[in-house]
Amino acid sequence: MKKTALMFFPAFDWSLGSTHPEREERLLYTQEQLFEEGVMDLPQIVQLNPIVAPLKAVCRTQAIFPSSEEQDLEAHRIAAGSALVMGDAWARQEIHNGFALVRPPGHHAGAVVWGNRGFCTLNNEAILINHLRSQYGYRKIAVVDTDVHHGDGTQNIFWHDPNVLFISLHQDGRTLYPGSGFVDELGGVNAWGQTLNIPMPPGTGDDGYLYMLEHWVLPKLQEFQPDVVINSAGQDNHYSDPLARMNVSARGYGQITELVRPDIAVLEGGYSIETALPYVNLAILLALAGEDYSQVQEPSNRRHTDVSLKDFKQYYQDLRAKQESQRVTWDKERVKHLLNQEWAHEDYSVYYDTEGFQETRQEYVRPCAYCGGTVVIMSKVRLHSDVCVLVRIPFLACETCRRTGLDVWQSLSERSQESHRYGSILLQNQADDDIRLWKRYEGVTKF
Amino acid sequence: MIHRMTSLRIGIDVGGTFTDAVLLDCLNVAAEQKVPTRSDALLETVLTALDALRLPRDAAIDQITVSTTLITNAILQKRLTPTELLLIPGYGMRLDALAWPVPYRALQGQLDFRGREIAAVETTEVQEEARRLSLINPCSSVAIVGKFSHRNNAQELGVEQILKKTAPQLRTTLGHRWGGANIYRRALTAYLNLACQDEFAAFADGLRQAVRQRGFTAPLQILKADGGVLPLEDIRAVDTVYSGPAASMLGALADSGEDMPDSYVVIDVGGTSTDMGLILDRVPMWSAKGAKIGGFSTQIRAMAVRSLAMGGDSVVQVEDGQVRIQPYRAGLPCCRGGPELTPTDAMCYLGIVAIGDQNKAAEGLARQCPVDQTPESLSALAQEILNVMSQKITDAVMDLEREWRDEPTYKIWQVLHPQQQGNFPIWLSGGPAPGLLRDLTRQSGRAVRSGTRSGLANAIGAALARPAFSRTLHLDTVVGRYRIAETGEQGVWQGSPRPHKEITRLMEEIMTRESERRGLAPDDWQKEVFDFFPVVDGYSAVGQVVRGSWHVPAGIMGRVNQ
Ligand SMILES: [Zn+2]
Ligand SMILES: [Zn+2]
Repeated sequence: MKKTALMFFPAFDWSLGSTHPEREERLLYTQEQLFEEGVMDLPQIVQLNPIVAPLKAVCRTQAIFPSSEEQDLEAHRIAAGSALVMGDAWARQEIHNGFALVRPPGHHAGAVVWGNRGFCTLNNEAILINHLRSQYGYRKIAVVDTDVHHGDGTQNIFWHDPNVLFISLHQDGRTLYPGSGFVDELGGVNAWGQTLNIPMPPGTGDDGYLYMLEHWVLPKLQEFQPDVVINSAGQDNHYSDPLARMNVSARGYGQITELVRPDIAVLEGGYSIETALPYVNLAILLALAGEDYSQVQEPSNRRHTDVSLKDFKQYYQDLRAKQESQRVTWDKERVKHLLNQEWAHEDYSVYYDTEGFQETRQEYVRPCAYCGGTVVIMSKVRLHSDVCVLVRIPFLACETCRRTGLDVWQSLSERSQESHRYGSILLQNQADDDIRLWKRYEGVTKF
Repeated sequence: MIHRMTSLRIGIDVGGTFTDAVLLDCLNVAAEQKVPTRSDALLETVLTALDALRLPRDAAIDQITVSTTLITNAILQKRLTPTELLLIPGYGMRLDALAWPVPYRALQGQLDFRGREIAAVETTEVQEEARRLSLINPCSSVAIVGKFSHRNNAQELGVEQILKKTAPQLRTTLGHRWGGANIYRRALTAYLNLACQDEFAAFADGLRQAVRQRGFTAPLQILKADGGVLPLEDIRAVDTVYSGPAASMLGALADSGEDMPDSYVVIDVGGTSTDMGLILDRVPMWSAKGAKIGGFSTQIRAMAVRSLAMGGDSVVQVEDGQVRIQPYRAGLPCCRGGPELTPTDAMCYLGIVAIGDQNKAAEGLARQCPVDQTPESLSALAQEILNVMSQKITDAVMDLEREWRDEPTYKIWQVLHPQQQGNFPIWLSGGPAPGLLRDLTRQSGRAVRSGTRSGLANAIGAALARPAFSRTLHLDTVVGRYRIAETGEQGVWQGSPRPHKEITRLMEEIMTRESERRGLAPDDWQKEVFDFFPVVDGYSAVGQVVRGSWHVPAGIMGRVNQ
């Protein structure tokens, strides 16, 4: 029998504040609903238990600055650990698919982490993906982010990675947090086209959403031929969600799940904790388990009206045309402190809304025709005086990029030894699974 | 009432093969007897065992406790009163996604997860149902179970009322009395209890009368699946399933010495079955879900036990050089004049136990060794039988420990403070236990100990079982209702929206009521830390959902003197 795993970790003793959307109560009614239905007695359902994600698994994917000890990671590491346990069960073929129904969420957490943003600190799916690659050798991974918000953190982490296809469907960033995820965001120079953003208008509804999946997402997945499909299963597209207006129903979520057919789905957002979550979670789980979800119906009525399918088709055509007209461009620059080599370079900033501060990043990638390219991110926040650096050697790196990454990390930390120029320098050598952190006054820690 | 230090207690344990009876004078075994179990006449078996103790008429017995396989057998042999099942499922997962061992009919009506009504019960539909049922039999038994009835029993009560108005003779039972979430298990538990109520009542009446005829006035108690005891009058029939394994666990507690560690595995080897369970910090482990029996998944609170269909009298056959221990017996072992080779013969031949005739054991072994019948090869076969048996037991123990380690956790605190890692020492009991001690020690790589009263431990466990109970509160101050899972009690909450001390007072009141009824000290309670969920409406906190339990844990009055 094909097993469907359920990892139910509601973190009943954790919140971002007692009236915060991300509070203890969030999965309480989902638990009531799933348990009362008798879902755990379905013969194909197996329940898994979380672990605390090892720091190595975290730092392989995200740079926690100034260091992991200086941030409150407990709850986040368990949510990430839940995804890892599920990934292990899947890779060992103990389960056919699974749903990590966990909180806190993760898809707004990016390559560098100075704190919590959009309720996220650790990116559960990204940590899972790199775990599957490093521990089991999977090469091609697809992420379909069906949260109503743009999965900017996941996009940021895999921006330069040609072996990870990141697809985010979300409500148009001009009308919703985090204000990104436009159709012209298509990936870095070495991974152009491996990021696909599909912003949709408020009021899209079930039909529009499914139309977009069938006409754009599924063909793209088909073409990519991933080894693993991960779904960032946010539930804030639901018509009763207090933050968004996408007008999708619980049954619609069942259909989305059936179309995307994820190997592993991980809960993201969704804060309509009474009128959406119990029903949406049930529909997703039933769809994964191959059960009929057509009897799942929320008791409340829709608040918004749908965009007509005719208008929506036109919207889709225009969006696609716009996406296909994009061309890859980048600034090449010789950078003295990065071995005086040529790098593609971009500056941007990241806002941490939970705590209200800004991070500025200078991001460099080595243009490479053979791999994802060495990545260097110089990061700074105002409340901390130090610049911290992430040096990433990607999975399946070519020898030149590998060498370059090692040399950059070596030279930066040596130079900083005297000048105290950088606070922390993380080497994320994904190619050799060698993760080490240089810290001023403390030297090197190997994870 | 505090239990007197001098007391006479009788424990009777009905096993598959034998029924044991003990008389305990305080913590000393004053008398013990073993009689064959007649599975078609359990009441007579119990009385035969009781009489075998040869107590004087009017002996001042303080308490008689029986563990019985009556209801287990009734369910497994499908000796059930015809019963109808009416469900109020509402929307959600399809009912037929789950395997239902009995037919059901679905009625209109729906509640949500906080017990608020979404759709009302249809009076005419229920009336029609009542007429249909009374056509089948005016006294039909009907179990009525609604989704989320454990949060609000109003629709179940409503349906019951309409049914009874239309067909007053119907016998009904309601699902909310079976506690926690899971309509599937609540429904099957309510169904089973109604369906085996008559069988149990007949047994209880017979037992009560027979005991009174013998001049004993002692209260009669039954051992439940959770290891607690209840007076015969108060017990719900299905709570007595699996009271045998419960007796094994309590027996281990009573029979093992002071120096036994606080956590260990109990293995009770019988004639044709081997039961095992876990003692954690001196308390038997309960199964996270309820007991499963004969295709019924229930909410019956039971100890987490594993049962292997394999014991000292199981038939052993050699096929293609492989030793197979069959799940049945064919009478006595060869060494005691029986027809088929058994593990007991292996123990006898190897000289591990002094039961039976070694020559006859050798004959039994030789029949399974047609080619080479040298003493070396007979020894090798005997050894292999014990190896296979020990290996199967070891595997089941590891499986049980895995279940315990994998019990779902929902809180950060639990993940950060994981359970011990298992690999517990083993307590071995039951008749064939001494013969397995050596091989199980070697095979499992653990410390294995066994008691001196192996064959009687279960009856001793029954005699010394303490009353045990739990009360699990679920309070929703916004909806304004509280519920007690174990009893199905539901009531209106008039306290504050964010209570704290009021919860303690409510629990104390509920626990005191039950403790007094059972003659227990009014403060000997294990109090779990409660969960408090702030309930938010819009952006302000409007109340709380509060959950948690207090327990009087299962256990024994004391260890029996060796
Ligand atoms: Zn979201
Ligand atoms: Zn390269």
